[in-house]
Amino acid sequence: MTVHADIAVTKLQHHVFYVTDLDRSKAFYTRLFDLQFSALNHPDSSAAMRLSKQEMHFFSFGFHHHDICLVKHHKLAMDNNSMLHFTLALREGAGFDAVRARASAMGLAVRDGRMLASAKPVVRAFRVQDPDRHWIEIIEERSR
Amino acid sequence: MSKAVPPNVIPPLAQKFGGLLKRKWFRELVLLVPTITRRRFSNKTEDYGVFEPSLVSHIGQLSIYVRDIARSRQWYEQVAGMVHSRTAEREPHPAKSGWQIRCCYMSAIEHDECLVLVEEFDPTGNISTPSGMSFFHFALEVQGNRLEDVLAFARQRHDSGFRPNYGPVRHNSEPPLGDGETGGNVACYLYDPDWNNVEFCGAMDTIQNYRARYGDTKGSERA
Repeated sequence: MTVHADIAVTKLQHHVFYVTDLDRSKAFYTRLFDLQFSALNHPDSSAAMRLSKQEMHFFSFGFHHHDICLVKHHKLAMDNNSMLHFTLALREGAGFDAVRARASAMGLAVRDGRMLASAKPVVRAFRVQDPDRHWIEIIEERSR
Repeated sequence: MSKAVPPNVIPPLAQKFGGLLKRKWFRELVLLVPTITRRRFSNKTEDYGVFEPSLVSHIGQLSIYVRDIARSRQWYEQVAGMVHSRTAEREPHPAKSGWQIRCCYMSAIEHDECLVLVEEFDPTGNISTPSGMSFFHFALEVQGNRLEDVLAFARQRHDSGFRPNYGPVRHNSEPPLGDGETGGNVACYLYDPDWNNVEFCGAMDTIQNYRARYGDTKGSERA
């Protein structure tokens, strides 16, 4: 029998946030970051989704089954009053400039620098808002 | 817990019966109408198994609003085993002119300052109440990252008086833990003091094990 000491968490693994238009947000995240659409949980075929009146579209960064998930609540309206922002760290050499160029080409208002003035410095950072005005911070980290 | 309960919070009675989703007969009962109308087969819940590299490595940080940093910090220390890194002085709100925020940075074992607990103050100095309607949940990976680690985590928290609102379950269709969802992750969910839903997870399907386990069959074909 395995005896566990008090178990802690190792990392922030995935984030599941509300959107109003799944197709619009799906296009946004795939176009800006090349995210992979990895799974669908639909209320017509998922008992949990049917009971919670939600629909979930999962996206992978390329290793885990999902890293972010877009959720449409079919009865309740989403807002931006429980989350300030989330940060996406780019792969080393993945092209910070390329993502920034994509953001500009998509007509997004780009703000340079970190989202939180008190956050630790990174190599480079900028932030944009997605179609639901969720703030996304894009960062290039120092090599680990 | 905050008295203001967001509308997406699972009612206590529904929480008691959440375990029924691990029973296939119950899931079939819930899906009876879309099965009869055949909408179930045109709107399939399934994996696509497309794992190509993206430009993103990982989620670096998440900042969530809380009513009381001290209360939330204690919860994330006790329940998640996170470590307080630092709490900053008030700073201007980055998106609302005239507003201010105060940030408490929490770290996990392998992830420095991954969670930021944020108090938000309007121009008159009043603190905001989180709505609960920006995100459904976020997930913290449990040390060990195996099925038995998540089950042990859930048992430990239960014994400490912290009851999950859902789980532990496994998000696939395999008994005895499968709830018919996708991802393969073993998960239990707890509400923090502001009713933010936090998933504690492990053993998610990856590019390394997905094809070895399932070949090219999609989720609905594996059920």
